[in-house]
Amino acid sequence: MPTPRHHLNRRRRRQALAAAPGDTAPRPRTSVGLLTEPAAEARRRTAAKPVREEAEKEAERRAGAKAVREEAEEKAGRPDRETAGRRTRSRGPVPLVVLCVLTLLLGGFAGWAHSRAGDLRDDPARGNTALTDLARTSEIKGQTAAAVAALFSYDHADPAAFEEAGKALLTGKAVEQHRTLLGGVLARAAEQKTVITTAVTDSAVERIDGDRARVLVYADQSSVSTAGTTKGGKQQKAQDQGVYAGAMFAVDVVHRDGRWLVENIDTFGR
Amino acid sequence: MTRTVRTPAGVRPALAVALVLTLVAGAFAAWAGRDWYAAAHDDSAAYAVQRDRALAAGEQAVQNLNTLDHRRVDQGLDLWESSTTGELHKQLVDGRTEFAGQVKAAKTVTTARVLSGAVTELDDRAGRARLLVALRITVTTPDSKSTDKDSRMLGELTRTDGRWKLSALGQAPVGGTAAG
Repeated sequence: MPTPRHHLNRRRRRQALAAAPGDTAPRPRTSVGLLTEPAAEARRRTAAKPVREEAEKEAERRAGAKAVREEAEEKAGRPDRETAGRRTRSRGPVPLVVLCVLTLLLGGFAGWAHSRAGDLRDDPARGNTALTDLARTSEIKGQTAAAVAALFSYDHADPAAFEEAGKALLTGKAVEQHRTLLGGVLARAAEQKTVITTAVTDSAVERIDGDRARVLVYADQSSVSTAGTTKGGKQQKAQDQGVYAGAMFAVDVVHRDGRWLVENIDTFGR
Repeated sequence: MTRTVRTPAGVRPALAVALVLTLVAGAFAAWAGRDWYAAAHDDSAAYAVQRDRALAAGEQAVQNLNTLDHRRVDQGLDLWESSTTGELHKQLVDGRTEFAGQVKAAKTVTTARVLSGAVTELDDRAGRARLLVALRITVTTPDSKSTDKDSRMLGELTRTDGRWKLSALGQAPVGGTAAG
C-alpha cells in the first residue's frame, strides 16, 4: 500500500531523476560550448554569408562606403608598405640609377651623333647633287637644252609652236622675263618673216637642290629674215646669210609633274 | 591585400620605365651612330666636295688669267703661271716675255668677274674636270675708257699635287656649226 509518504518519496525520486539528465547534460555542454560555440556560430555565419555579404557589398558600394573600407585597408597595409619601402631603398636604387645614367649617356651620344651627321649633311657641297646624281644631272641638262631651244626659237610660219612652248615650259616670273627678252624681236619678226633658231651648245648644271636646279647655258642663236621689205644694210646682210650670236645665261628650273620648267632666266644683268 | 601586392610592384614600374627609356635611348643612339657613320663615309659626298673644290679653283684660275694690270705685269703673270699646269702652263711660260711687252705698251688694265660657273665633267680618280665659266671682262685703256665684254669660257682642270689647276682654257665658239 503506498503510503502517502512513500508516494511522495517516489515522486521526489522521479522528479530528481527527471531533473538529473536535464541538469547534468547541459552542464558539460555549456563548459565545452564556451570554447566551441563562437566558432560554430562563425561557421554558421560564413555559410550563410555569401548571399548576405554580396548584398551587403552591393549596398556598401551604393552607399559610398568605399572610403571607409579603404581607410581600413590602408591601416592594414601600412606596415607592409613600409617594410617594402625600406627594402627598395637598400636594393632598388642601384639598378635604377644605373639605368638612368645609361639612358643619359646613350641619349647624349645619340644627340651628339645626330648633330654631327646633321652638320655633315648641312655641308652645302652635299646638298648640291649636281654631278653626284648623274642621272638627274643629265635629265636636267637634256630637258633644259630642249626647253631653251623651244623657248628662243621662232618661225614666222608657225608662231603657234612658239606660243605653245611658252605656255608649256615657263612658270612664275620666267613668263614675264621671256616676254621682255623676246618682245622686241617678235614685234619685228612677224613682218620680217624671221626665223630664229636657238641651239644650246654647252650647258652645265651648277646646282641641284631637290626639285630645283640652276643651269648655265651657252647657246647659239641664228636669225634669218626671209621678207624682202627690210631696209638698211645690216638687215640686208641678215637676209643674206643670217646673224649668229652667242648667248650665255643661267636658268633656274623647277621640277613639276615630271618635267623641268623654267622658273627664272638670269641674263647676268644684260 | 591589393596594397601589399602593389607596394613592391610600385618600384618595379619605375624600374620598368627606366629600362624602357634606356632601351629607347639605346636604339636611338644606335640609329644616330649609324646615320653619322653613313654621313661621314658617303662616297657621293666626297665626290661633291671634289666638285666644289674643282669649281672654286677653276673659277679663280679663269679669273686670274683674265686679270692683268700693266703696272704689275710680272706679278700678274706669276699668278697666271701658278694657276695653270700642263700645256697651258707651258704656253704661258713660253710666251711670257712677248706678252708682257705687249701689255706694257698698251697700258691696259684688265679685270674679270665670274658671273657663273659650273662643272660639266669630273673624274675624281684621274683628277680631271671640265667647267663652264661665264665671265665679264672689263678692259680699261690709258684714257680711262672701259669696255665690258662677256666671255663664255670653257676650261679644263687637272689636279696636280692635290690642287686643281687649269690645263686648257678657251672661249666657246659662236655659230660655228650653223654657218658651216
